[in-house]
Amino acid sequence: MEITGRRRSLENCTESGWDAFDILTGDPLSDEDILSLRVMEGSFLYLKQLKKPFFKIENHDYMIKGVKGDSFFRFAVHRDHLSEIDRLISLLS
Amino acid sequence: MSGIYLNNAATSYPKPDCVKELALKNINALPSGQFRSAGVSDNGDIFLECRRKLALILGVEESERIFFTSGATESLNTLLSGIGVNASEIITTVTEHNSVLRPLYNLPGIKGEPMLLPCDKEGVVSPGHFEDLAKTGRGKVLILNHCSNVNGTVQDAEAFGKIAKKYGLIYIIDASQSAGCMRIDADAWSADAIAFTGHKSLLGLQGSGGYYIRSGIPFVPMKYGGTGRDSEKLRYDGGDYEYETGTQNSLAIAALSEAARFILERGIENIEKRESEIRQYAKKRLSEIKGIFVFPSPEEKSGPVLSFSSEILPPSDISYILQNSYGIVTRSGLMCAPLMHEYIGSGKKGTVRISFSIFQKEEDIDSLCEALKEIHGDNG
Repeated sequence: MEITGRRRSLENCTESGWDAFDILTGDPLSDEDILSLRVMEGSFLYLKQLKKPFFKIENHDYMIKGVKGDSFFRFAVHRDHLSEIDRLISLLS
Repeated sequence: MSGIYLNNAATSYPKPDCVKELALKNINALPSGQFRSAGVSDNGDIFLECRRKLALILGVEESERIFFTSGATESLNTLLSGIGVNASEIITTVTEHNSVLRPLYNLPGIKGEPMLLPCDKEGVVSPGHFEDLAKTGRGKVLILNHCSNVNGTVQDAEAFGKIAKKYGLIYIIDASQSAGCMRIDADAWSADAIAFTGHKSLLGLQGSGGYYIRSGIPFVPMKYGGTGRDSEKLRYDGGDYEYETGTQNSLAIAALSEAARFILERGIENIEKRESEIRQYAKKRLSEIKGIFVFPSPEEKSGPVLSFSSEILPPSDISYILQNSYGIVTRSGLMCAPLMHEYIGSGKKGTVRISFSIFQKEEDIDSLCEALKEIHGDNG
């Protein structure tokens, strides 16, 4: 998966108390891309039955979520753990 | 926009065609400035006109005591900083938005903490609790959130007004969610001030709003500057303050005036009736879905707002899926009303909120419910 950028989420308020970023990808997210995100620790939820399947990886410090077919996913992170975004990007590259 | 918009409590969408046309016309017209519109005659006095219409919507006789701001947040900051009362002398409720709470806890010169009236599971604040507190003589001001932006509960503003008047408190109503979609009768309710915003149920643009403050209430402006009048006067010695300074947002005020005309022509009671129908329809349909809990609010006293939660996913995930998988815009979290959730049982993650406008269709609710059924595996 190619990461092409990141931007502060327009819906930061939704992830109350956390900072939320949208991580931009070069191509629409595939099943393989979604599974590759599991390099990050945390519980994994994948609702494949939805019209556009939704996934989420969550632990105490951060939450990754997105929808198959979108060219971005959400990374919400506790303010003390902002470096986790860089760790994810380096693990994926 | 393609998709379904159910976030009208944040900002109403779409706007009436007449408002869009008016805004477009005005952006191409010679600029209007209050008291300084030399050369502009075809628009009439948009400021005066807008005030007159808003006075009808708010139930205010003194239309000249309506002042424009950028919205309810500026209005509330202006009112709270201008009435010269400490936070410790202010009674308010746990249903308030941060546009009330944060000024109370942070405005310079306002000392102490406010006295907070609780609400019940439906978000209702008891006028009786208020009277108990008012009797003690510790409060000088009451600020009441008329309609909750979390679950739509409407407080009995008239009952609170009677008590405030009885005990001599200044009575401020936050009508951010109610102005334009339900009857407000500020004079009859003995309200001394009302804050409103233009971009919600008043169907205007973001960056417009204002407040009303009754004449005779001691009130110092928060901002000073050019007004287009008495330019030689540098100091206001006799308390003859002016409350609108700098260049006003004339485009948004013109749009607000047109939106107010639309609302008055349509009839507030008709708008309230239609939005109540949609709300009841949504409440019924949502209640039928396995795994969805609709937060209660009084059937006969609710505005066009509804909150729910899911048994399987937190509110932020539900909103994310609805928006990105189904093109349905909702709002989730605490909705900037952080204290209320403890009382209605929605906790730290808040709720999923849907909110309606006069243009909402039953089909929008049907689509929402189909999506939620799919998410929850409800095939019934």
